[in-house]
Amino acid sequence: MISIDQAVRNYQAGETVVRALRGVSLDIEQGEFISIAGPSGSGKTTLLNLIGCIDALDGGEITINGEAVSSMNKKSKTDFRRINLGFIFQTYNLIPVLTAYENVSFVLSLLDLPEQEVRERTMGLLKEVGLEGMEHRRPSRLSGGQQQRVAIARALIKNPQVVLADEPTANLDSETGEEILKLMKEMNRRHHTTFIFSTHDKMVMEYAERLVMLHDGQIISDERRQ
Amino acid sequence: MKFLISLAFKNLTRYKRRTIITALAIAIGIAMYIFIDAMLMGAEYESVRNLKWYETASARILDDEYWEERYQYPLDLNISDPDPILERLEAEGITASKRIVFTGDMILSRAEFGEDGNIPVRVTAIDPSRDFDVFHFGDTLIEGRFLEEDEEAILIGSWFAEDIGASVGNWVTIITRGNGGFYEAIDLQIVGILNCPNPNVNRTLIMMPIKTADYYLAMDGAATEINIRLPDQAEVEQEIATIQGLLNGNGITVMSWETMAKDYLAIAEAKRGGTGMILFLIFIIAAVGISNTMLMAIFERIRELGMMRSLGMSDMKIRIAFMLEAAGIGLIGSTIGVIIGVIANYWIINVGIDFGFLMREMDIGYRIQSIFRGTWNPGTIAVAFFAGILISTVVAYLPTNRALKMDIPSCLRHQ
Ligand SMILES: Nc1ncnc2c1ncn2[C@@H]1O[C@H](COP(=O)(O)OP(=O)(O)OP(=O)(O)O)[C@@H](O)[C@H]1O
Ligand SMILES: [Mg+2]
Repeated sequence: MISIDQAVRNYQAGETVVRALRGVSLDIEQGEFISIAGPSGSGKTTLLNLIGCIDALDGGEITINGEAVSSMNKKSKTDFRRINLGFIFQTYNLIPVLTAYENVSFVLSLLDLPEQEVRERTMGLLKEVGLEGMEHRRPSRLSGGQQQRVAIARALIKNPQVVLADEPTANLDSETGEEILKLMKEMNRRHHTTFIFSTHDKMVMEYAERLVMLHDGQIISDERRQ
Repeated sequence: MKFLISLAFKNLTRYKRRTIITALAIAIGIAMYIFIDAMLMGAEYESVRNLKWYETASARILDDEYWEERYQYPLDLNISDPDPILERLEAEGITASKRIVFTGDMILSRAEFGEDGNIPVRVTAIDPSRDFDVFHFGDTLIEGRFLEEDEEAILIGSWFAEDIGASVGNWVTIITRGNGGFYEAIDLQIVGILNCPNPNVNRTLIMMPIKTADYYLAMDGAATEINIRLPDQAEVEQEIATIQGLLNGNGITVMSWETMAKDYLAIAEAKRGGTGMILFLIFIIAAVGISNTMLMAIFERIRELGMMRSLGMSDMKIRIAFMLEAAGIGLIGSTIGVIIGVIANYWIINVGIDFGFLMREMDIGYRIQSIFRGTWNPGTIAVAFFAGILISTVVAYLPTNRALKMDIPSCLRHQ
């Protein structure tokens, strides 16, 4: 479904060129629960950004559902993200003035769905991620774990093909992090959504069904587990 | 769209203090705009009225060549037989009165004024029984009495009286040249002092009975001008055409107050231009304030912006969201501004500001002696209200665009 072929990404940092990805090739199937792991600076975020169509390749190609990302223009990338991709961020990135409910439902209002459907789907999903009764709280009245649950619901609400999560547990204590991972895995199973998440945490890697290790912008191992 | 509106208004409450400060900046700009406009409009309205009431009347009949030579105050370019014209005008229901205007030197004697002196003056000889039907001096007497038909007496403006140290009962001599050029000295007693609301008049006014002037200047019944008062709503140009018809030539002509006051009106026009500049500056200041606020608001939310863009929110929608937010600030600012402006207007219209100290010392063109009052101007209030909203909205465009130029990963990494 996602096919990455010799992906190259270089950054200009002053005089020097940082080779963030040096020819990464990877095939990902629908419904996979895959972790991109590696030390800091190994290129995890860069790879996720490229799959998420918010960064541009310097070489190679990424094909999603048979469509080459490098051939998409800005608008079709935006449309593609709106319809097919969900994002979960390390710092949750909820809108502070909106309630949990509104933070999730606004994604659907971008898709111009009828109000009734927006309501039902949002309430249902918030319940699924364990936030029943907290729908009308603003982020400031939710714990980190709860905020990340809202973020998971926000990523999943439009039934995307792929959810990209860059270090989703890095801001949480290990216990809460595990809960979040369990929830992600559960969602992966239930909705058959592909999850691609990055981490440098051993515990988090344990949860992956497939573990891709990056080092200096190159894949050094790719193993299926369990 | 509904979501964008509600998001914009929720974000307004997010930085309450900043929203309020910016809204107040806009409000002050708008209130000042409304206030200054009301005051200037009022001053202009009153100036024009005082100009007509005490200087030009609505229209004036003159000898054909008089206007060209008006600064000489020529007695020979006169209306030789004014009375039939006055009768004809009266028959048409038009109020009019004749005058002789001449210049001379006023001699002040040591006996009367403590020291000798002489000053150039302009004297207006009026028909005491009819002049106040045309001009509005009727209620300006503050000391003494009005003139009688045929006496050697004058009325003077109160500022003029102050300047020469005159009071009722003093005698002065006016030296002038009569019709034909002979020298004449006329002894006149000050019988009354007028306080004319038009400062230009109050500073110079000397009035005497026309019969006395006729005698001393050998006018033989002639007048230098006939002044006409038209009703306030009259179509001046149309009336003038009618009057011109009545005169059927005879070497005399009729002029509207607008023609006579051309210089004044040109200055008023220039003043309006000047105020336009002030108002423009006020708006620039408000615009810079809004722009800064939006810039800060947007850059504090760069990560949020990155999130929204990753989720596939189009640049257009993001732009609309921020512009709606700015429009909200504009709406609050405009509303407060209009309220303050209207309150300030109530005051300037009903109480006014006393610029007497200023008007006494110099002539700044306005024909108002002391208290400047404003006037209501609903058009300006509406324009100011909408301009506040519009400018806020437009001004938010630039900082939003700047933020949208950043790539999404940089937005997401932003602290
Ligand atoms: N915009 C950029 N400009 C310059 N260099 C960049 C930029 N983004 C990433 N890099 C560099 O590219 C390399 C890979 O960065 P990336 O963020 O993908 O690493 P990462 O694996 O996500 O690291 P971390 O665990 O610290 O998040 C790093 O050396 C980083 O400094
Ligand atoms: Mg990273």
